[in-house]
Amino acid sequence: MIQETKIALKNAGKIDPMSIDEYLNSGGFQGLKKAMHIEPVKIIEQVSDAGLRGRGGAGFPAGMKGRFTDEAICHYCGPKYLICNADEGEPGTYKDRVIMEQDPFLLIEGMLISALSIGAGKGYIYIRGEYTESIRKLKNAIDQCYKKGFLGKDCLGENLSFELELRYGAGSYLCGEELTLLESLEGKRGYPRIKPPFPAQKGLFGCPTLINNVETFAHVPYIIEQGPEHYKKFGTEKSPGTKIFTVSGDVKNPGYVETEMGVTLEQIIELCGGMKDSKPFYAALLGGAAGTFVNKEVLQTPMGFDTLKEKDAILGSGAVIVMNTERSIYDMMESILEFFKHESCGKCVPCRVGTNQLLIMFHQMVNQAKGDRAKMLEKMKQEAEYMAANSLCPLGSSPILPIGSISKYFKEDF
Amino acid sequence: MKKTVTITIDGKKIQAKEGDNLLQTALDNGIDIPYLCYHKKLSPTGACRMCVSKIEGQKGLVMACTVNITDGMVVTAFDEEIETARRHTMEYLLAEHNDAYDGTFYDELYFLARKYDLEDPVDRSYPNVYKQMNYPVDDTSPILTYDASKCIKCFRCIKACDEVQGKNVLSFSERGITSYIIAGMNNWGESECDGCGECIQLCPTGALVEKPHRDEIRINKLDRHVQTTCPYCGVGCQIDLYIQNGKILRADGVENVMPNDGRLCVKGRFGYDYVQSEDRLTKPLIKKDGEFVEASWDEALDLIASKFSEIKKKHGNEALAGYGSAKCTNEDNYIFQKFVRMVFGNNNLDYCTRLCHASTVTAMLKSLGSGAGSNSIEDFEATECLFVIGNNMIETHPVTATYAKRGKYKGHKIIVCDPRWTKMVDYADVWLQPRLGTDVALLNGLIHVIIKEDLIDKEFIEERVEGGMEAFNALKELVEKYTPEEAERITNVPKSKIIEAARIYASASTAMISTGMGLSQQVVGTHMVFSLINMMLITGQVGKESAGIDPPRGQNNVQGVTDIGVSPINYPGYIPASDEENRKKIAKLWNVEYESLPSKPGLTTVEIMHGAYDGEIKGMYIMGENPMMTDPDLNHTGEALKKLDFLVVQDIFHTETTPYADVILPASSFAEKDGTFVNSDRRALRVRKAVEMPGEAEEDWKILVNIAERMGYNLGKYKNAKEIFTEIAQATPIMAGITYERIKKEGVQWPCPTRDHPGTKTLFLDRFKTNSGLGILNPVHHSEQKERATREFPFILNSGRILYQYHTSTMSRRNKALTDFANRSFVLMNPIDLEKNGFNDGDKVKLSNNRGELETFLKSSDGVAEGELFMPFHYSESQVNRLTRGELDPYSKIPPFKYSACKVEKV
Repeated sequence: MIQETKIALKNAGKIDPMSIDEYLNSGGFQGLKKAMHIEPVKIIEQVSDAGLRGRGGAGFPAGMKGRFTDEAICHYCGPKYLICNADEGEPGTYKDRVIMEQDPFLLIEGMLISALSIGAGKGYIYIRGEYTESIRKLKNAIDQCYKKGFLGKDCLGENLSFELELRYGAGSYLCGEELTLLESLEGKRGYPRIKPPFPAQKGLFGCPTLINNVETFAHVPYIIEQGPEHYKKFGTEKSPGTKIFTVSGDVKNPGYVETEMGVTLEQIIELCGGMKDSKPFYAALLGGAAGTFVNKEVLQTPMGFDTLKEKDAILGSGAVIVMNTERSIYDMMESILEFFKHESCGKCVPCRVGTNQLLIMFHQMVNQAKGDRAKMLEKMKQEAEYMAANSLCPLGSSPILPIGSISKYFKEDF
Repeated sequence: MKKTVTITIDGKKIQAKEGDNLLQTALDNGIDIPYLCYHKKLSPTGACRMCVSKIEGQKGLVMACTVNITDGMVVTAFDEEIETARRHTMEYLLAEHNDAYDGTFYDELYFLARKYDLEDPVDRSYPNVYKQMNYPVDDTSPILTYDASKCIKCFRCIKACDEVQGKNVLSFSERGITSYIIAGMNNWGESECDGCGECIQLCPTGALVEKPHRDEIRINKLDRHVQTTCPYCGVGCQIDLYIQNGKILRADGVENVMPNDGRLCVKGRFGYDYVQSEDRLTKPLIKKDGEFVEASWDEALDLIASKFSEIKKKHGNEALAGYGSAKCTNEDNYIFQKFVRMVFGNNNLDYCTRLCHASTVTAMLKSLGSGAGSNSIEDFEATECLFVIGNNMIETHPVTATYAKRGKYKGHKIIVCDPRWTKMVDYADVWLQPRLGTDVALLNGLIHVIIKEDLIDKEFIEERVEGGMEAFNALKELVEKYTPEEAERITNVPKSKIIEAARIYASASTAMISTGMGLSQQVVGTHMVFSLINMMLITGQVGKESAGIDPPRGQNNVQGVTDIGVSPINYPGYIPASDEENRKKIAKLWNVEYESLPSKPGLTTVEIMHGAYDGEIKGMYIMGENPMMTDPDLNHTGEALKKLDFLVVQDIFHTETTPYADVILPASSFAEKDGTFVNSDRRALRVRKAVEMPGEAEEDWKILVNIAERMGYNLGKYKNAKEIFTEIAQATPIMAGITYERIKKEGVQWPCPTRDHPGTKTLFLDRFKTNSGLGILNPVHHSEQKERATREFPFILNSGRILYQYHTSTMSRRNKALTDFANRSFVLMNPIDLEKNGFNDGDKVKLSNNRGELETFLKSSDGVAEGELFMPFHYSESQVNRLTRGELDPYSKIPPFKYSACKVEKV
């Protein structure tokens, strides 16, 4: 059986998350210390060289994002912003919560290094409002960092200050989408923005902004401390490093595991004690609602951004919902379609009407005979394809992921 | 300047501006990409997804409305894939939409449905779900109905309210397919919506439809649309009247032309119904034995001619006088001044401007050589600092205020100086709240700070101010004692705010002053404006684009009436009556002996009334004015009117003044005649006949020509208003280049001396209009008011306007939409005063002083300072001017409407 490999969770469970001293004693802020003696663009280079890809789900190269932000000409000569997206809302996903609850200082260190790299003076953690425990711990961590001088005036060196604030999401799934998150942070209603401009050019309050996911930031101190070459030893060539998988459903020991990228789904299930009651594996939903269903064909596929893509599946946020043969793909599908309808903001027509339309079609389908159901599934796929091509933000482009993957891997059930 | 680039759309090469909106560029070039959520005036939304297009080198579909043009861009606007996607989106829209159509609105959605062969529900692929969504209908507003089942959630109304009007009243409630628009926290009726109707105008479907006349109007049965100029304030908004069966049933703002670019306020959009009111005067009326009886035109005009001739013979030329009207066209007023000068043979002619702007004009004439606003309306948005003083812009000039608010959203600064809270304070960076009547001290305080902190523009003073630094030093000496501390002592404005305001104004790259009645209607009105101009001159905040001083005109044609010479001192074009050369020129134009044209300055508005009281004025002609509401000290005015031997009132309604008349003549409203108005930014704008006059009502200028003829004078053989305007252009050098042809679509700003002159956006760029061409500093001291609060009369009453009523409300109060919003007189009192006196909010109270009394209702408001009151002057049942006084500003003869001591008692 494979072993867990811990980067983001290296301190989890080992230190008191309420104590900055314990964090320091366990080697905390070493990455930051090192970063303070590196030229900012070199920090971005190292993150780039490490091949770190965004852990929020899209897998966009983190270094590239940083470089864009760094190079952006600030039109208003105003500040640059650094934002941590902690609005973890993808069903089945709770990796960020684990980091924030068990090692909040690591997140702050990652943000501080990133702030140095792009020259940001102000940062926000936009956190899911329901994460009361994470909020409590982060608040404490931020307080302690201010007291110890890791945050605040000149914390990153002479004339290099960094202020960090917590902001709470109010329960909208869409606010986890980075441009919608910016609207929400600005105090507006959570509607997606038109892209371009990208946050790197014109983000929060129209200023260059770097947004990363909690887990992404949590990798940064390690990369700086150990160097990109060391980091790249973990994972696969195109998806280096580790990943936290949050496993739920029909496994013996549901929970989170941090492993190297590239382990297989089968190995992850094994790490979680195998299938519950030894019932046969039927399906897994990878990446949450905006994710893909896979069947046993994918059990041996290495879990990486590109390797899964070859199988028309996605890694996404690292959520893994495992189902045994007693489960119905229809139930899952209905709950996902309801979820999309509920969370569609309504700004653009394809998503607003389409998410409702898909649910209507689904309800028609379940009453149909086999064969007709397959035809309806095809029609639903076409609707979802239209939505993906015509919608304003990633939410409208999402239903094609579960529907397309059901059509690919579970056609015989229709 | 944006770079010109070449792009290709569907194979067609197009010259475009880099960075411009792709959809708009396509539309401008005749490529009709469909759209619903886009509007030229709004930021792109990208919601409706109808303008999907493809751009070479970019992945997938893009929305043309969200694309900024770059050089060499190759665009596909139409192909099968795109059209399929559009049809699909159209299907989606129709699936959540209620198709019911009652014919009362233009439906852009239906138009597109037809384009995609989807107007018939049987051709559609998706089940309609609007009924399951339980979409609400909001019918609580006096002016509109919102039906969510017809809403396509395009954001146009929200952005209309937010980006165009700066009001931010609308937003979405709920989420996804069940979302719908709400106003404020709940519904339109309870929200802050002030009824401008911008949202209705920009709504592409029937989700928002006007309430007034909805049962009558049918879009496919309209006779025609008529573009004309709004009859209310001096912004001069261009309105599009919908005419059906000879009746006005709707008014929209005209898009893409200045000054309003489609925007209107509640009065402009919903205030036209007075035109078709049953109360209109339709026949001449002659007073016989104290009763008015209907008469024929011949009878009425003969009587007038004989009476005026008789007075002239018996008491001489000087015994006659006339009030022109800011409500009438330039053509009407031009004939009016010609009438008074030729037929009465004197210069006893004036009009309401004396009661509004005389002090501003007097001070500006003396300091700058011109009394007109120096800037253009768009400068309210462009200027970096707007200094709003005594100007409740959001209520009195709502469309000008939209420009100011947009400027604020761009990051520009606004300073508000007003003794009471106005809505503009919400947008202000600094609010200076001086005690009533202390503005000179405040302004001198600002000047003191500016000089002390060396924020003056020395170069400007040396080059463009008469006397240069020497004159400046005199000012410096005078303001020496107005330290921030001293200014605070006199005005009650904290010194920190005085300093802050001074810095903002003086350091802005461009700053504009917008004055108003609060400043001008005071016994020290002229001094206040002098002070203001002093501040402007020493900081060089004039003589460049987006800088200067602008007194917005209160009535639609205040500017024009002065321009064309309804003035006791000036002939058309601000040429003094004493100018012989000009009189010779005019005499030739009018075909009269030059010696017969009066050169002696005549009496001003209030002086005419004093003259009537003293028996010097025996006969009067009042065209479209209502002095029994507007003049100060009304009891005195009433006495004066009673003493007249003969009074003619020409109006469209009975007013508070008509009972005093001997003959009442039924005149025409703005919608019944051709002509021109000139707005606050000196723009000559067309007025067009849209409907017929009621009964025997007649065009104002025709009546005058007729009377003159009966008195033996030939004012001219005009066939129409256009011919009169041609003569105006000849008589008025500043308008010499303007013709009806030129202002067919959009107005032209004077000075426009020749046909090929483009008009003038900004005054004073190179020189001032004074004799020397230089600006003149007029240092003035603060002086205490004679009128004071006393033990007997402990309150100082301020008066003014509100958004929903207009002037003496003869027009505005005859529109249900407007009276639904506001129809009751009130007086604002500070809650501390309320408590001190044992009053309650809503109490009926009597306000009185030695001059008169009135009854009204108390409204508690901490927007007025302790010891001060504010009351609108619109309501005839509570006439503020019973309490105001006829003591005049010695320089401009303006009465102090803003400062009357009085007491308040519970009724």
